[in-house]
This record gives sequence, structure tokens and C-alpha cells, in this order.
Amino acid sequence: MSGSVKIAIIGFSFLMILVSFLIGWWAKKKVTSSKAYFGSTGMFGPLTVGLSSTAAVASAFALVGVPGLIYSTGNAMTFWMLSSAAFAMAYLILGKKMRAMAEIGDVSSLGDVSDLRFNNNRYIKAILSIILFIGCVAYLAAQIKAGSELFSHLLGWNTMVTGFVIFGVLTAYMAISGEVGGLLTQAFQGLVMVVAGIIIIIAFFIMTGGFAEVLNVISVAGTVTKGDVSKVFGPDLLNAWGVLPKSIAMAWMIIPILGTVGQPQVLTRMYALKDPKDMPKLGLYTAISHFIVGFFAVVVAYGALYLVATGAIDPLLNGDSAIFAFADYLGVYAQLFIYAAVLAAAMSSASMFLSLSANIISRDLPSAFGKKIAPEKQITVSRITMFVLGLIAILFSLTSAEMVAILGTFGWGTLMSGTFPVFIIGLLWKGANSKGVGLGLTVGLALNLLSLTGLKWPGALPWYFNVITISIVLTIFVSLITKDKELNPKVEAVIDL
Amino acid sequence: MDLSDKRTGIVVLIGVLWMIITVLGWKEQYLAGMYLGVILMLLHLMLGAAKNGKLSSILFVYPFILWAVLWCASFFLSNHYADQFSGVIPDFTILGFHPSFAWTILTYWIGGVLTLTIGFILYKDEWLSEKDWQEFKEKIHMIEQSEVK
Repeated sequence: MSGSVKIAIIGFSFLMILVSFLIGWWAKKKVTSSKAYFGSTGMFGPLTVGLSSTAAVASAFALVGVPGLIYSTGNAMTFWMLSSAAFAMAYLILGKKMRAMAEIGDVSSLGDVSDLRFNNNRYIKAILSIILFIGCVAYLAAQIKAGSELFSHLLGWNTMVTGFVIFGVLTAYMAISGEVGGLLTQAFQGLVMVVAGIIIIIAFFIMTGGFAEVLNVISVAGTVTKGDVSKVFGPDLLNAWGVLPKSIAMAWMIIPILGTVGQPQVLTRMYALKDPKDMPKLGLYTAISHFIVGFFAVVVAYGALYLVATGAIDPLLNGDSAIFAFADYLGVYAQLFIYAAVLAAAMSSASMFLSLSANIISRDLPSAFGKKIAPEKQITVSRITMFVLGLIAILFSLTSAEMVAILGTFGWGTLMSGTFPVFIIGLLWKGANSKGVGLGLTVGLALNLLSLTGLKWPGALPWYFNVITISIVLTIFVSLITKDKELNPKVEAVIDL
Repeated sequence: MDLSDKRTGIVVLIGVLWMIITVLGWKEQYLAGMYLGVILMLLHLMLGAAKNGKLSSILFVYPFILWAVLWCASFFLSNHYADQFSGVIPDFTILGFHPSFAWTILTYWIGGVLTLTIGFILYKDEWLSEKDWQEFKEKIHMIEQSEVK
């Protein structure tokens, strides 16, 4: 890559960071209450919330890891990336009930919703908070590591310095304007990803001539070798299942589609929407933006496969470099947008999970342990927590590579094992009680941690699939055979809505 | 469609389906697991979209049933063509895609959005109308007033 191209990419990416900071700074004017700071509750329209939701869901993994997996193992991962219908499904299942919870009490966090549903049950709130915290920190660390390593390579700077520059700015604007700044900057970053997606999709068709040509080339390429690196091609790579065990394709269809409703970055956005009747429009705007970003990731993988199969570039040592190999081949315009899109993906998810983690530490966990912080002090406490947590997360992510890799296996599935018992079963079924949910969460947390230490599960399913099943099944069956206090009539009205 | 006295049964079925799908995954019975996965999602949609225990028949037919049929057909066709062209170059493509993967694009991805997302827009009042929302707020107001007394 030439020096002038590097300068252009760096300039473009830093412009995006600057605009994000300015949006975050401007957004502090809108922070008029702790409800706004912590939850943006009932503040925004469907377009802003839709772009923000897509950006927060599509992490750096979606743009770097997904093309890498498709390059290495074929199409199974496309079930995950082409899950654009999942947002409408999530809103149809839980949208009105989640938004209605904000009408029956003060809701600024998922812990508040848990309090309202389960009569301020501290145990449920504590275990839920711990599971959410583990999932959020895992995501946060992965975004910081991916963003810092990419740009340190590009800038020739030390990784730590790069991490502190990019994610230090992010931590600053998040601490200043909380979820209001977070949601607005994520909407901007989502827009960057959508624009980059449109440009790269067009570039893919111009470069390859379309999917038929890619299929032809890949079907006959055989094995391409350069030095010690080989890539085996064949037509089965491009059937629906790819070359992994097919039960993985099954898991990668069910978990992202149904699991979208259990992601904190989707749940919290349900109560950020000003008018609940705009939920269908939110489903449409989120689907359109996700449609483009999802296809973007798929064409990048196909583009890299095409380039290697035709001998235009060498086989990739690591599938995760597929997006950058593709960008470098296309030239400076693609490099500008792809690097900016990856940075936008990392920053939007990092800001979401930094804010969620800080709220858990400064608000939900203390309240679960009976420590009340006066509402007027909550924002100050959270700002300090966000700042300290942001700095620790940057240090941790860039000094504990092995731990970040282990934590990287947490995330989507871990979050589902915490949110399904409390919010999905809890808000769809009056019979869900604190004993069932408490046990489901406790066993879910224990199994998540045991899986971290190497617990082996039967079959080829990803481990979190088993944990989610056990957590949900225990919640339902223990609730069935135990009795609890009567349901609050306001919660009953929400479940009936 | 009145679901009010069927809610517990549906939730129990959800739990049973999670267990069966997991075991099917262990046994590599992925296609049956995917069909049951669609039923699992359909049950969640039915519970979530019902108003006072009643699910609109319009919503149930379109988008829900149409979506479910589309996705089951998608998985069947993907599997059928993957088996037919296993290890060989397919002798035709669909819009340039491998005949197995084309159904992921056409029915799973685009079809999923055209049914669930567009159906949600078209029949939004069957899910939550202005009247429903106002009645809910009034109900909450009345409960709060009775709590004060």
C-alpha cells in the first residue's frame, strides 16, 4: 500500500472518529434526565433507532470474521449474515411489551425491566447482570482488539497508543452523553457501513461479472498453492451448507434469527423508540440497513474467493484477512470505505457494550446488592465508571490476547442464555416465576463458565446452543411446578397487550 | 384465534422443541432441526403478536404461515440441490447462484423480509393499533389510581 493511500485511509477514518466525537459532544444537550443518559428511553424515531440497531448488531466480527468464515468454510455462515428478517421477528415477538414496560415504571436499563417484571427480585437482577456483563465485556474487548490492531498495522503505531487514541475518544464521548450520544453516533456509524456496503456491492459485480462467474471459477479451480499456503476449491463450498458439519448451519440459522430478540442492543432499542406504533417502521429500516450490510459481508467473501481462485492474489494465510485482501485489490476507493466501515462496526458495537457494562456496574449490580444511589448522583457515578471501565477495557484487550480469545467465544449465545428466561419467557408468559427464572439463570451462568474451562458437549453444535436450551427448559419447567407471588396487575396488562 | 387458555401449553411446547432440536443437532439431523426451528419461532411470534390472548387470523396467515412455509421450502430445496450436485459442478444456476444456495438468497433472506418485515408494516394495526395503545395506557392509569386509594 502506497504512502498516499495510507494517508487517505487514515484521514477518512479519523474524520469519522471526529464526526462521532462531535455528535457525542452535541448530544449532551439532550441528556436532561438519568432516564435519557442511561436508556434514551422513548427519545428517538425509527430511522435513527434502526440505523443504530444495525450498527450495534453488526460488530467488527460481522465484517472481518464472517467473510473469513465464508472464505474458509463456505456458505453456512450466510444463514447468520443474511438474517435481516430477524428484526421484524424480534419486534413482533417482544417490541410492544418491552416498550410498554417503560410506561409502567422508570426504565433506563434491562435491570429495571427485570425489577418491574419480577417484583424487585435482587437475585434475578444480580445473576442477569453478571451474565450480561460477561457477554458485554467479551464483545467490548473483541472490538477494541480488532480496531486497534487493524489501525496500528496501518499507521505503524504501537497497538496500545492506537487503542487509546480511537477508543479513548469513544470512551470520552460515551461518558459525556451516555446512551443518547451512543445511539446517535451508532446511527451515524451505521450509515457509514450502509454507504460502504452499497459501493462495495457494486464494485463486486463490476469486478467479477456476477455470482455465476464466481461459481464457475471456484468450481474448477482445484487447489491453489503459493509457498506453504494452499486453498482447496470445489463446487460444494458454494452450496447452502458449505463444508462444515450441517448441524452448524442449523445452529447458525436458529441462533441469530431467534436470538436477535435476546440481544441487549436490540432489547434496549425497543424502549428507546419514541412511539411504539412506529415499531413496524423500525423493523423495515433496520431490515433495509442490515440487508445491505449483510450482503456486503457475503460479497466480500465471494470476491476474495474469486481473486484467489483466478490467481489474482495469493491464497490467504488467515481467512480474516479476506476483507482487506479484497479492498487492497480493488484500490483506493474501496480501501477508504472498507477500512472506515470496519472501524465504524468496531466503534458502534464497542460504544453499545461499554455503555451497557458501565450501567451494570454503576447501577444494576449495586441495586441488586441493596445499595441505592440517589438519582441526581447516578449520572456522575456512571460517567466515572464508564471512563474507568473504558480505560481498563483498552488495557485489558491489548495486553491479554489469550484471555480476549477465550472471551471471544462468549457473546451472542451467552447473552441469549441470560435474556431469554427474564425477558422473552418472562414477558410472553404470566406463568414464568422467580424460582424458575432464578434457577434457569443460575444454571445458565454456571454452564457458561464451565464451557469456558473446557466442558465438552455432545455433537458438533456450538456449546452455547446447549446452554441456552438448558437455561430455557429449566425456567419453563420449574415455573410450572412451583408457585410464586401474584403477578403485578400492571405487568399482567403488559403481557396481555 | 383465541390463545388465552393455550399460553402455558405453547410455552411448554417451546421448551420441548428446544430440547428436541438440540438432540437433533447432536445426531446431525439438521434438516428436521431446521423445520422444528421454524415452528419454534412461529410459536414465539404467535405469543408475542396476540392481543389480550387473541391472535389476528390475518397476521397468522400472512405473514406468519406464509413465512413459515417459505422457510421450510427453502431448507428443503437447499438440501435437495446440495445432495443432487454433491461434489460436482451444477449444470444450471439460479440467478447465477449454486442451485442449493439460491434458496438461501431468494426465500430465506429476501423471502423472510418480504413476509415478516413487509407483513408487519401492512398489518401493523392487527399487532398494535392506536386504540389498543390508548386503552393500555388508560388501564395502567386506572390500576395506578386504585393503588393510590
